[in-house]
Amino acid sequence: MAERIAFAIAAAGALGSALGVITLRNPFKAAVALIGTLVSVALLFLLAAAPFVAAIQVIVYAGAIVVLFLFVIAYLGEDPPLMGPDRTGRWAFVPATGVGVAAVIGLVALLRSSLPGMRARFAEASDIGSPRAIGEAFVDRHALIFEATSLVLLIAALGAVLLARRAVLGERGR
Amino acid sequence: MGISLMYYLLVSGGLFALGLAGVLIRRNMLLLLLAVELMLNGANVALIGFSRHWDVTDGQIFALVVMVVAAAEVVIGLGLIVAVYRQRIVLDVDELDQLKG
Repeated sequence: MAERIAFAIAAAGALGSALGVITLRNPFKAAVALIGTLVSVALLFLLAAAPFVAAIQVIVYAGAIVVLFLFVIAYLGEDPPLMGPDRTGRWAFVPATGVGVAAVIGLVALLRSSLPGMRARFAEASDIGSPRAIGEAFVDRHALIFEATSLVLLIAALGAVLLARRAVLGERGR
Repeated sequence: MGISLMYYLLVSGGLFALGLAGVLIRRNMLLLLLAVELMLNGANVALIGFSRHWDVTDGQIFALVVMVVAAAEVVIGLGLIVAVYRQRIVLDVDELDQLKG
Protein backbone atom coordinates (compact mmCIF):
# COMPACT_ATOMS: atom_id res chain seq x y z
CA MET A 1 0.00 0.00 0.00
CA ALA A 2 2.80 2.41 0.93
CA GLU A 3 4.38 1.62 -2.42
CA ARG A 4 1.18 2.59 -4.17
CA ILE A 5 0.89 5.91 -2.33
CA ALA A 6 4.52 6.75 -3.20
CA PHE A 7 3.84 5.84 -6.84
CA ALA A 8 0.72 8.06 -6.93
CA ILE A 9 2.65 11.03 -5.46
CA ALA A 10 5.55 10.56 -7.91
CA ALA A 11 3.23 10.17 -10.92
CA ALA A 12 1.18 13.24 -9.97
CA GLY A 13 4.38 15.23 -9.39
CA ALA A 14 5.84 14.17 -12.74
CA LEU A 15 2.71 14.98 -14.76
CA GLY A 16 1.95 18.20 -12.84
CA SER A 17 5.47 19.58 -13.29
CA ALA A 18 5.40 18.48 -16.95
CA LEU A 19 2.29 20.64 -17.40
CA GLY A 20 4.27 23.51 -15.86
CA VAL A 21 7.19 22.91 -18.25
CA ILE A 22 4.98 23.34 -21.33
CA THR A 23 2.78 26.21 -20.06
CA LEU A 24 4.99 28.54 -17.98
CA ARG A 25 5.98 31.65 -19.94
CA ASN A 26 9.17 32.36 -18.01
CA PRO A 27 12.03 30.08 -19.25
CA PHE A 28 13.63 30.05 -15.80
CA LYS A 29 10.43 28.82 -14.14
CA ALA A 30 9.92 26.21 -16.89
CA ALA A 31 13.44 24.83 -16.27
CA VAL A 32 12.77 24.63 -12.52
CA ALA A 33 9.50 22.77 -13.27
CA LEU A 34 11.59 20.34 -15.36
CA ILE A 35 13.68 19.61 -12.25
CA GLY A 36 10.42 18.65 -10.49
CA THR A 37 9.54 16.23 -13.30
CA LEU A 38 13.03 14.68 -13.34
CA VAL A 39 13.11 14.10 -9.57
CA SER A 40 9.59 12.59 -9.64
CA VAL A 41 10.65 10.29 -12.49
CA ALA A 42 13.72 9.29 -10.43
CA LEU A 43 11.31 8.27 -7.64
CA LEU A 44 9.38 6.15 -10.17
CA PHE A 45 12.68 4.46 -11.13
CA LEU A 46 13.42 3.80 -7.46
CA LEU A 47 10.02 2.09 -7.08
CA ALA A 48 10.81 -0.15 -10.09
CA ALA A 49 14.00 -1.66 -8.59
CA ALA A 50 16.33 0.69 -10.50
CA PRO A 51 18.24 2.59 -7.78
CA PHE A 52 21.35 3.13 -9.93
CA VAL A 53 19.41 4.66 -12.84
CA ALA A 54 17.49 6.81 -10.33
CA ALA A 55 20.76 8.14 -8.90
CA ILE A 56 22.11 8.86 -12.40
CA GLN A 57 18.82 10.59 -13.25
CA VAL A 58 19.19 12.98 -10.30
CA ILE A 59 22.96 13.56 -10.62
CA VAL A 60 23.33 13.83 -14.40
CA TYR A 61 19.89 14.95 -15.54
CA ALA A 62 18.56 17.16 -12.74
CA GLY A 63 22.11 18.17 -11.88
CA ALA A 64 24.24 18.68 -14.97
CA ILE A 65 21.76 19.00 -17.85
CA VAL A 66 19.26 21.34 -16.16
CA VAL A 67 22.11 23.47 -14.79
CA LEU A 68 23.36 23.79 -18.39
CA PHE A 69 19.86 24.97 -19.38
CA LEU A 70 19.75 27.48 -16.52
CA PHE A 71 23.22 28.73 -17.47
CA VAL A 72 22.13 29.40 -21.06
CA ILE A 73 18.89 31.05 -19.87
CA ALA A 74 20.93 33.33 -17.61
CA TYR A 75 23.35 34.03 -20.50
CA LEU A 76 20.58 34.96 -22.93
CA GLY A 77 18.68 37.01 -20.35
CA GLU A 78 14.93 37.53 -20.46
CA ASP A 79 14.91 39.67 -23.56
CA PRO A 80 11.26 39.72 -24.77
CA PRO A 81 11.87 40.46 -28.49
CA LEU A 82 14.32 37.53 -28.75
CA MET A 83 11.74 35.10 -27.36
CA GLY A 84 8.98 34.06 -29.77
CA PRO A 85 5.47 33.79 -28.29
CA ASP A 86 3.71 30.44 -27.96
CA ARG A 87 1.35 29.14 -30.65
CA THR A 88 -1.81 29.76 -28.66
CA GLY A 89 -3.92 31.80 -31.08
CA ARG A 90 -6.44 30.81 -33.71
CA TRP A 91 -4.47 27.73 -34.77
CA ALA A 92 -4.04 26.26 -31.30
CA PHE A 93 -6.65 23.60 -32.11
CA VAL A 94 -4.30 21.90 -34.61
CA PRO A 95 -1.67 20.67 -32.08
CA ALA A 96 -4.44 20.05 -29.52
CA THR A 97 -6.31 17.78 -31.97
CA GLY A 98 -3.14 15.96 -33.01
CA VAL A 99 -2.03 15.23 -29.45
CA GLY A 100 -5.60 14.34 -28.43
CA VAL A 101 -6.01 11.81 -31.24
CA ALA A 102 -2.58 10.27 -30.50
CA ALA A 103 -3.44 10.04 -26.79
CA VAL A 104 -6.78 8.33 -27.49
CA ILE A 105 -5.14 5.82 -29.85
CA GLY A 106 -2.44 5.07 -27.27
CA LEU A 107 -4.97 4.69 -24.45
CA VAL A 108 -7.14 2.29 -26.49
CA ALA A 109 -4.07 0.25 -27.48
CA LEU A 110 -2.97 0.10 -23.84
CA LEU A 111 -6.37 -0.89 -22.42
CA ARG A 112 -7.00 -3.54 -25.09
CA SER A 113 -3.48 -4.99 -24.91
CA SER A 114 -3.21 -8.68 -24.03
CA LEU A 115 0.41 -8.67 -22.84
CA PRO A 116 0.68 -11.42 -20.20
CA GLY A 117 0.74 -10.13 -16.63
CA MET A 118 0.36 -6.51 -17.62
CA ARG A 119 -2.38 -5.74 -15.11
CA ALA A 120 -1.04 -7.99 -12.36
CA ARG A 121 1.24 -6.56 -9.69
CA PHE A 122 4.98 -6.91 -10.28
CA ALA A 123 6.55 -10.17 -9.12
CA GLU A 124 9.37 -10.07 -6.59
CA ALA A 125 12.38 -8.47 -8.29
CA SER A 126 15.75 -10.16 -8.51
CA ASP A 127 18.99 -8.16 -8.48
CA ILE A 128 18.48 -6.14 -11.68
CA GLY A 129 19.17 -2.54 -10.68
CA SER A 130 22.30 -2.61 -8.53
CA PRO A 131 25.49 -0.96 -9.85
CA ARG A 132 27.00 -4.47 -10.01
CA ALA A 133 24.21 -5.84 -12.23
CA ILE A 134 24.33 -2.76 -14.48
CA GLY A 135 28.11 -2.93 -14.79
CA GLU A 136 28.06 -6.62 -15.66
CA ALA A 137 25.32 -6.14 -18.26
CA PHE A 138 27.14 -3.17 -19.79
CA VAL A 139 30.58 -4.75 -20.04
CA ASP A 140 29.63 -8.38 -20.67
CA ARG A 141 26.65 -8.23 -23.00
CA HIS A 142 26.49 -4.66 -24.30
CA ALA A 143 30.14 -3.67 -24.73
CA LEU A 144 29.51 -2.36 -28.26
CA ILE A 145 26.75 -0.01 -27.02
CA PHE A 146 29.07 1.13 -24.25
CA GLU A 147 31.72 2.12 -26.80
CA ALA A 148 29.10 3.72 -29.03
CA THR A 149 27.95 6.03 -26.19
CA SER A 150 31.50 7.28 -25.71
CA LEU A 151 31.69 8.03 -29.43
CA VAL A 152 28.35 9.90 -29.29
CA LEU A 153 29.59 12.07 -26.43
CA LEU A 154 32.88 12.78 -28.20
CA ILE A 155 31.11 13.85 -31.40
CA ALA A 156 28.70 16.04 -29.41
CA ALA A 157 31.60 17.81 -27.67
CA LEU A 158 33.40 18.35 -31.01
CA GLY A 159 30.19 19.68 -32.57
CA ALA A 160 29.66 22.13 -29.72
CA VAL A 161 33.22 23.45 -30.08
CA LEU A 162 32.79 23.88 -33.86
CA LEU A 163 29.46 25.68 -33.37
CA ALA A 164 30.99 28.07 -30.84
CA ARG A 165 33.93 28.77 -33.18
CA ARG A 166 31.58 29.50 -36.10
CA ALA A 167 29.47 31.80 -33.96
CA VAL A 168 32.52 33.83 -32.91
CA LEU A 169 33.81 34.04 -36.51
CA GLY A 170 30.37 35.12 -37.75
CA GLU A 171 30.24 37.89 -35.18
CA ARG A 172 33.66 39.21 -36.13
CA GLY A 173 32.60 39.37 -39.78
CA ARG A 174 29.84 41.90 -39.03
CA MET B 1 -1.53 -4.03 -3.37
CA GLY B 2 1.43 -3.47 -5.65
CA ILE B 3 2.05 -1.58 -8.83
CA SER B 4 1.57 -3.08 -12.29
CA LEU B 5 3.19 -2.37 -15.65
CA MET B 6 -0.06 -0.66 -16.72
CA TYR B 7 0.53 2.28 -14.36
CA TYR B 8 4.07 2.81 -15.61
CA LEU B 9 2.88 2.81 -19.22
CA LEU B 10 0.09 5.29 -18.38
CA VAL B 11 2.57 7.72 -16.75
CA SER B 12 4.99 7.20 -19.65
CA GLY B 13 2.30 7.95 -22.22
CA GLY B 14 1.16 11.00 -20.27
CA LEU B 15 4.67 12.46 -20.12
CA PHE B 16 5.23 11.76 -23.82
CA ALA B 17 1.91 13.38 -24.80
CA LEU B 18 2.64 16.49 -22.69
CA GLY B 19 6.11 16.73 -24.24
CA LEU B 20 4.65 16.39 -27.75
CA ALA B 21 2.10 19.11 -26.98
CA GLY B 22 4.95 21.32 -25.75
CA VAL B 23 6.99 20.75 -28.92
CA LEU B 24 3.98 21.68 -31.06
CA ILE B 25 2.94 24.72 -28.98
CA ARG B 26 6.29 26.36 -28.15
CA ARG B 27 8.02 28.61 -30.65
CA ASN B 28 10.93 29.62 -28.45
CA MET B 29 13.80 27.21 -29.21
CA LEU B 30 14.92 26.97 -25.59
CA LEU B 31 11.48 26.00 -24.26
CA LEU B 32 11.08 23.58 -27.18
CA LEU B 33 14.22 21.73 -26.03
CA LEU B 34 12.74 21.45 -22.52
CA ALA B 35 9.64 19.79 -24.01
CA VAL B 36 11.88 17.34 -25.92
CA GLU B 37 13.43 16.37 -22.57
CA LEU B 38 9.92 15.52 -21.32
CA MET B 39 9.40 13.17 -24.28
CA LEU B 40 12.74 11.42 -23.63
CA ASN B 41 11.79 10.96 -19.97
CA GLY B 42 8.45 9.47 -20.94
CA ALA B 43 10.31 6.88 -23.03
CA ASN B 44 12.65 6.17 -20.09
CA VAL B 45 9.74 5.51 -17.73
CA ALA B 46 8.40 2.90 -20.16
CA LEU B 47 11.85 1.27 -20.48
CA ILE B 48 12.31 1.01 -16.71
CA GLY B 49 8.76 -0.31 -16.29
CA PHE B 50 9.36 -3.05 -18.85
CA SER B 51 12.73 -3.86 -17.26
CA ARG B 52 10.92 -4.41 -13.95
CA HIS B 53 8.13 -6.37 -15.63
CA TRP B 54 10.41 -8.90 -17.34
CA ASP B 55 12.92 -8.82 -14.46
CA VAL B 56 15.95 -8.16 -16.69
CA THR B 57 18.61 -5.41 -16.60
CA ASP B 58 18.58 -4.66 -20.35
CA GLY B 59 15.83 -2.03 -20.10
CA GLN B 60 17.90 -0.08 -17.58
CA ILE B 61 20.92 -0.20 -19.90
CA PHE B 62 18.71 1.20 -22.64
CA ALA B 63 17.48 3.97 -20.31
CA LEU B 64 21.10 4.94 -19.52
CA VAL B 65 21.90 5.09 -23.25
CA VAL B 66 18.85 7.33 -23.77
CA MET B 67 20.24 9.64 -21.06
CA VAL B 68 23.61 9.83 -22.87
CA VAL B 69 21.84 10.68 -26.13
CA ALA B 70 19.77 13.31 -24.30
CA ALA B 71 22.94 14.89 -22.89
CA ALA B 72 24.53 15.01 -26.36
CA GLU B 73 21.34 16.46 -27.83
CA VAL B 74 21.18 19.19 -25.16
CA VAL B 75 24.81 20.16 -25.77
CA ILE B 76 24.26 20.54 -29.53
CA GLY B 77 20.85 22.22 -29.08
CA LEU B 78 22.12 24.80 -26.61
CA GLY B 79 25.21 25.35 -28.80
CA LEU B 80 22.91 26.12 -31.75
CA ILE B 81 20.77 28.44 -29.61
CA VAL B 82 23.79 30.42 -28.42
CA ALA B 83 25.19 30.56 -31.99
CA VAL B 84 21.84 31.88 -33.30
CA TYR B 85 21.57 34.38 -30.45
CA ARG B 86 25.05 35.77 -31.11
CA GLN B 87 24.04 36.55 -34.71
CA ARG B 88 21.20 38.67 -33.24
CA ILE B 89 18.47 36.56 -34.78
CA VAL B 90 15.13 35.99 -33.05
CA LEU B 91 15.01 32.60 -31.29
CA ASP B 92 11.77 31.65 -33.06
CA VAL B 93 11.50 28.31 -34.88
CA ASP B 94 9.10 29.87 -37.41
CA GLU B 95 11.74 32.43 -38.43
CA LEU B 96 14.61 29.91 -38.61
CA ASP B 97 13.42 27.84 -41.58
CA GLN B 98 16.32 28.12 -44.03
CA LEU B 99 19.09 25.73 -42.88
CA LYS B 100 21.61 28.35 -43.95
CA GLY B 101 24.20 30.21 -41.87
